[in-house]
Amino acid sequence: MIDPGKALIVFGIVTAITAALFTPKYGLFAQWKRARSGMKRALVEDALKHIYDYEYKNINCTTESIAGVLLISTDEAAELLTRLSAMGLLITNDNGVKLTADGNSYALRIIRVHRLWERYLADETSVPPTEWHSSAELAEHTLSPAETEMLAAQIGNPNFDPHGDPIPTPTGEMPPRKGHSLLSLKSGEFALITHIEDEPEAVFAQLIAQGLYVGMQVRMIDRSNERVRFAADGEEIVLAPLLTNNLTVAPITEEEQRITAPLDSLASLKIGEEAHVLSISKAMRGQQRRRLMDLGVVPGTTIRAEMKSASGDPTAYAIRGATVALRRQHAAMIFIQK
Amino acid sequence: MKNRLKKEQRTTTAGKESILSSANTLRWEIGEHVHDSLIESIYADANQIASRAVTLPDGKPRFDFDKKLDSLITSRWFGFPLMFLLLAFVFWLTVEGANIPSALIASLLVDTMHPWLRSVFVLIGSPWWLTGVLADGVWLAMAWVVSVMLPPMAIFFPLFTLLEDFGYLPRVAFNMDSLFRRAGAHGKQSLSMTMGFGCNAAGVVATRIIDSPRERLIAIITNNFSLCNGRWPTQILIASIFFGALAPPALAGFITAGAVVGVATLGIFFTLVVSWGLSRTLLKGEASSFSLELPPYRPPQLWQTLYTSLIDRTAIVLWRAIVFAAPAGAVIWLVSNIHVGTMSIAEHFINFSNPFGMLLGLNGVIIIAYIIAIPANEIVIPTVLMMTVLSTKLSGIGNGAGVMFELNEATAVADVLRAGGWTVLTGLNLMLFSLLHNPCSTTIYTIYKETKSVKWTALATVIPTIMGIVICFLVAQIYRLLFV
Amino acid sequence: MSQTPKENCDDCPVHNLGNLTKLGINMSQFDFVVALAGNPNTGKSTVFNALTGLRQHTGNWPGKTVTRAEGGFVYGNKRFKLVDLPGTYSLLSTSTDEEVARDFILFGQPDVTVIVVDATRLERNLNLVLQVLEITHRAVVCLNLIDEAQRHNIKVDTRRLAKDLGVPVVAAAARQEEGIPELLKNVYDVASGAYICRPYRLERTAPRLEKAISELTAKIKKEFPLLPNTRWIALRLLDGDQKIIDAVKSGELGNLSAKSVATREAVQ
Repeated sequence: MIDPGKALIVFGIVTAITAALFTPKYGLFAQWKRARSGMKRALVEDALKHIYDYEYKNINCTTESIAGVLLISTDEAAELLTRLSAMGLLITNDNGVKLTADGNSYALRIIRVHRLWERYLADETSVPPTEWHSSAELAEHTLSPAETEMLAAQIGNPNFDPHGDPIPTPTGEMPPRKGHSLLSLKSGEFALITHIEDEPEAVFAQLIAQGLYVGMQVRMIDRSNERVRFAADGEEIVLAPLLTNNLTVAPITEEEQRITAPLDSLASLKIGEEAHVLSISKAMRGQQRRRLMDLGVVPGTTIRAEMKSASGDPTAYAIRGATVALRRQHAAMIFIQK
Repeated sequence: MKNRLKKEQRTTTAGKESILSSANTLRWEIGEHVHDSLIESIYADANQIASRAVTLPDGKPRFDFDKKLDSLITSRWFGFPLMFLLLAFVFWLTVEGANIPSALIASLLVDTMHPWLRSVFVLIGSPWWLTGVLADGVWLAMAWVVSVMLPPMAIFFPLFTLLEDFGYLPRVAFNMDSLFRRAGAHGKQSLSMTMGFGCNAAGVVATRIIDSPRERLIAIITNNFSLCNGRWPTQILIASIFFGALAPPALAGFITAGAVVGVATLGIFFTLVVSWGLSRTLLKGEASSFSLELPPYRPPQLWQTLYTSLIDRTAIVLWRAIVFAAPAGAVIWLVSNIHVGTMSIAEHFINFSNPFGMLLGLNGVIIIAYIIAIPANEIVIPTVLMMTVLSTKLSGIGNGAGVMFELNEATAVADVLRAGGWTVLTGLNLMLFSLLHNPCSTTIYTIYKETKSVKWTALATVIPTIMGIVICFLVAQIYRLLFV
Repeated sequence: MSQTPKENCDDCPVHNLGNLTKLGINMSQFDFVVALAGNPNTGKSTVFNALTGLRQHTGNWPGKTVTRAEGGFVYGNKRFKLVDLPGTYSLLSTSTDEEVARDFILFGQPDVTVIVVDATRLERNLNLVLQVLEITHRAVVCLNLIDEAQRHNIKVDTRRLAKDLGVPVVAAAARQEEGIPELLKNVYDVASGAYICRPYRLERTAPRLEKAISELTAKIKKEFPLLPNTRWIALRLLDGDQKIIDAVKSGELGNLSAKSVATREAVQ
């Protein structure tokens, strides 16, 4: 008989090794996978994407900035640029580099995959928002053009990614960026969030944690050098100006109702009370949103809270003649007028 | 006619392209609200049409009876006790009601038909090995599956279906949802889980009621943690031999029941823990949504329900006995009777796997029984008994190599097992391993049919097996450190 | 008498045989194909059983039927094939079930689509009815569970509903087999062309979409002049519906229009 103490020690060692190998994100296997994606093709594509991004934003792109973004040395970056121009993807001139037509469409294709993938994750999976970007960074180098088009067809050929960025068409068309920084709003002015920049990840995570989402209505309250105070869907939020740089807003349309006070949500409805649906938060996406609308939760619908489950959540609501149970987290994303 | 054909032909590629490209341009202009606006306008029209055609009763609130019933069933104080009482009643009825028909079928198929079948084979002069494979192997395996499985299923499933038809089960899902939500699962999983206590294959099929892909996969993969009715008899027998016997006779029944319920509860615990883990790792990439419709109560259609669920379930059991258990019976007979050198294949394998079995606090007989009995958990105990007798060369018990048997008295079983070197640890770990091992082959096949994915099927098979091995191993080592 | 051209016979089937075969439907022994659509938990399977005499398990659960069931029945000397589509709330979302149901009705062009609705929750069910009526013009609404509605004192004016929807509406309690003979008769009438449906079509849409819709509709009309419901096609294109995009690309949309014109001419 094997000594039980020794057996347990061997077991502990085996478990530790397995964990070291296969832990998601930090395990050796995950690191190897990431390292593999950092190979030549990925470097070329990342560089093109970066140059495109800077051109789009009208910033000068240099060897240093490329080295910085791709986490390689300046020498390697210079070498990379030489290779790119040899491939006919860019030309170098006095004030930096510029993409050729080929380079431009290559970059757009990568961006298309990246944004489609983010949209796919947002709508069709339960991957949390903070992981969308890093997952798309991997996917953009591995999906073939055919796979990309299949993905687009499957998720209904979307035009925008979940951060509000337009997705280039297969032929490389993309409208110019609209909107301006949140800081440009005057006190009392209304606007819609059209874009939340997902890099750096830490900043993005903070904005998401505040409950901000693309399509949200904001109203500037006041701002100083230290802090920006604004209302988002009527709820007051205070942020450092640095963070608000990652928010792009556009003027509100005429049809849109101006939200001046915090909206009531369905979750606040008491049993037996009735209310009309004003809107469904844009933060509710994908299958959940479609299912709710199919069940008849659309602006104007009358909803009555019928009963709570024995454990307090979910709550059953009378919706267009049917009794439908909704979890509190989802009811909180349906805005109502009592 | 001709005219029209001409028109059709004029449909040009350029024209089609122009439709699609302008659709694209327009989509950029109007933004992403088309779907929402469309549903909104459909519902606006639906509302108008419905309000013209439908006259609702005025005055008294609608659905008076339904409402009263709902407020009782979902009430904070009565909701859960009512649910436990009802389920306990269903289980009690199943266990009590199944005893007599099970014994009847067993005595008919095993005690009466088996010897008769043997004599027929002998009479027509079939060689001994053919008689062995068909009468002792195939027939007995099928007989066991049918007698153990059919009566409980014929009682449990119609009862469950009546509750479903009445509209009670969606309310159970409604009440249980918050527990399952925390595990990243859907409240309806409580129902497929309960169904799994009857039969895991049926439980896997029952997950169809879950319409969210992620939650449905979770429910499918974890269904095996529900102790199915092929495993209940094993649990009860082993618990009474190794735990009930430890207590004074007056408490024996109580301790036995406690041990079995403990193992079943452990299964529910594993269901929730594994659901939680899956939803945060492997199944992150699946879509998730929640909606649960509570249909109005309807008087159940008693006869139709009895008829369809009996026919459906009987068909499943018979199919399963024939397709999966019959070959297993043949294999069991063959490995016990084909000799290599001086020992049968089974004995070779028992000796070979014994060290591994001992490491897990089990033994070689249990390992081989679980490998051969993948098709059906019902034949584990008969196989274990037969192989124990075979490998320890006990005489006077059983009916010879390859002939599975059961003993009427638990004490007789205990004697055989103790002779095979079983201890309390073996009993405990057999109960744990019976809860945590790969699903039976019917369930594996059903999982594949439902998911159409080798990946998820493999995962559903491997997860519980690894858990079983690891947990049995740990329990064995700790038990030995403490008590030996 | 001279040979009648095929388009002009008064009860010729309208289904698209090629597409049906592609969808796995064997029509060799049948004259007409009838699709059965409906919300989950409206008693669709019960209607299916009542029509075909089969005993599929039905339950008080949304979404019991997952695999497609098929059956057949004979009425008025014609042989009908009945195809039970998955129960769905809508035909617009991207779930597999909804795609199966939508593709069958749109591209298989069943001779009749029976839409089973729950009389106690008509408004919710009309969502699906209106969507089905956008893509077919041969439908019968089966107002099921009418007994339950009566028990709850809900009155439904079927004549008014039929007039508004432009298709026959039959009140039924399929569990008691009530209304099934009437349903059969109406299915027969629509299939044979004795009853001409004038299905309700959506007209109001959000004002901000109006310009885009009319612009696109004009283009589609020019290309597919015989298509009966260009507005709907325009809306689906604006929503990025891949199947419709493919149908435009391959010209299959033109096929559909030819068929529907043939039947329209036949019934006139």
